[in-house]
Formats: sequence, C-alpha cells, structure tokens
Amino acid sequence: MIDVKNQDLGDSDELRSPESITIDLLDDIVERNQVWPVMAAKYGVENPLPPWKTSLDGLCDVLDRSCSRDELGFTFKERRDEEDALSATRYAGLPYPENQLVSLAHSLMERGVIDKEELLARLARIRARLEA
Amino acid sequence: MSDHDHARTAKPMVEEITDFEVLEIALRELCVEKGLFTAAEHRVFTEYAEQIGPTPAARLVAKAWLDPEFMKLALADANTASKEVGVDWLDPTGFGTPSDFVAFKILADTPKVHHVIVCALCSCYPRPILGNSPEWYRTPNYRRRIVRWPRQVLSEFGLELPDDAEVRVEDSNQKHRFMVMPMRPEGTEGWTEDQLAEIITRDCLIGVALPKPGVTSNVITRTRPAIRPIAE
Repeated sequence: MIDVKNQDLGDSDELRSPESITIDLLDDIVERNQVWPVMAAKYGVENPLPPWKTSLDGLCDVLDRSCSRDELGFTFKERRDEEDALSATRYAGLPYPENQLVSLAHSLMERGVIDKEELLARLARIRARLEA
Repeated sequence: MSDHDHARTAKPMVEEITDFEVLEIALRELCVEKGLFTAAEHRVFTEYAEQIGPTPAARLVAKAWLDPEFMKLALADANTASKEVGVDWLDPTGFGTPSDFVAFKILADTPKVHHVIVCALCSCYPRPILGNSPEWYRTPNYRRRIVRWPRQVLSEFGLELPDDAEVRVEDSNQKHRFMVMPMRPEGTEGWTEDQLAEIITRDCLIGVALPKPGVTSNVITRTRPAIRPIAE
C-alpha cells in the first residue's frame, strides 16, 4: 500500500529501541507543552480529554487494520509496545493521550512512513489553515 | 474570564490552536495521502470510537440480575446475550474490527470468587460492549501489578475483599475478551432495570469496584508510572 522500498525495515534492533533516534520536531512540541490539562486549566474547560482524542482513536484503529497485513511491521502489538516504551521513557513527561499521539508520530517517522521535512511543512500548513 | 460582565451562553473553550491537534491532523492527512487508508475509513472508525461506551454492558448485567434465564444465557453464550443489548460481538461496527477478536466471555462473581480483567500484553479490552478503556487500564503498571499483587492493586481502587474470597485475574488476549458479572448488591430490591444499570459502572465491569446503591461514577485513580518500565 505504501512505498517503503527504500526503507531498511529489516533492522529490527533499531525498531526495538525507539529511543535510538532523535526527533527534534517532536521534542519541540513536547517542550512547548500545550498539553490538554494545561490548556483546560488556562481556559477553564472541564472536558477531561482533548477534542482530538476520538480522531486519534480512529487513526490508531484504522492503522491497525491497514498496516497489519503489509510489510511495514506496524501491527497493533508493535504500535502498542512502542507506545508503552516511548511513553515510559522519551515522552514520559506528557500526559495521555498526548503521549499516545507523539509516540505514534515517532513510530511512523522511525519507519520512514513520514519524513521530518514533510511533517514540518504539513504542520505549518495546517496551523496556517486553522488560524486563518 | 469569570469576571466577564455578560452571562455566558456557551461553555468555555480552548481558544488557541495547540501543537497536538495540529499533529493529529498532519499524521492523518499524510497517512491518507500515502494510501494507508482513506479519509472515509478514518471517519467510520472515529464515529465508532465516539459512540461506544459502557451502557450496553451495564444494561446486560441489569437484565441478567432481573431475569435468571437471561443470566444463564449471558454466562453460557455471551455473544447471543450481547445481541439483546444491541451489540453484535462478531461484527460490532458493521465494517469489521481493527483486531480479530472472536471470543467473548462473561465472568460471574460469587461470594467466594471475585474476577478482574487485564490485558497483560497490551490493552485488549471488550470495546464493543464497554467502550474505550480507561487510561490506567492501558498502563504497564496496572497490567503488570494486577497479575502479581491483585489485592494490593484493588485496594488502590478502594476495593478491599474479604480474605476468604479468591481473586481471579483474567488475562485478555487477541482472540479472547472478558467482562465481569458482579453480584447484585443488597439494597436494590424492587429496583427497575434502569435503576440497576445506573450503579453498574465501567469499573464494576472491569472488576476494580463493586456495585453499590448510590454510587454511579467510576473511581478516580492516579496513574502511576512503572518504576522499571522497560527491560533491556
């Protein structure tokens, strides 16, 4: 389904140690800390979870279904294991579901599904769109 | 904002664009463009995530408490019993499931046996009938400790069981999902199905709480990080 020919997906050691790569752009997001508990307190909002949570649930579910049968090596089990590992280490400072989202971004970038430059460009484009 | 002179007609909202909402949209758009799934498929799964919750499970237990024949059915054939509360276990969404679970079993508590569910490997949960799992259920800390020290973990939820009651921890897996059938508490004689369903909370169906007249909300528990989370 996806063109991953140029990715070295056989290097499972690397995939097993998700801290092995540094993703500055995700670190920057962590550092800016616009996490839901902070935002909710700042604006007096009572919802315990951010409004994008169910869309993230849908994203995880649809990925679990579409990636389970192809060569990405990104099954439900792998996604969850990496999320647990990253949430306990690199992204331990984030609450849930921010840690789930950032871990998912990390896993997708580590697999080469999404590259840093295109994600950076897309983040800027979407922000501009939402702030228009 | 609370000093504002005008009466508020809407609840407050977060009035800035956060990095996280932008990141969620970006990942989704890029995955769609790369052909991993379509936007329509994502929408269907999101709508599913929005509409599931513990109501059908609570309804099932309440019905079983009131109807001994339905109780027998629920314990013998949970899939058929689920259909009576509107959940087709084998095809809960009408468009397939993200994972291929097939078996669903309801575990009946007795005065001497208390059940609690976990997924020690990841976070398998009876989502079609119970909704999305709470955050603490997903944590390695709960998953690891409930298996080793169930009484200690249950006591953190405020559930102290008598010494002579056995605690059975049922581990879910990719094919098998479980839910607890708690015992009907005293003080609910003559109650209707609606009244009973109100006290059958998500926590009771996981097994970290017992139904009690007057208690209709879940326990709020602190999510503890694992001390040695990742074994190298």
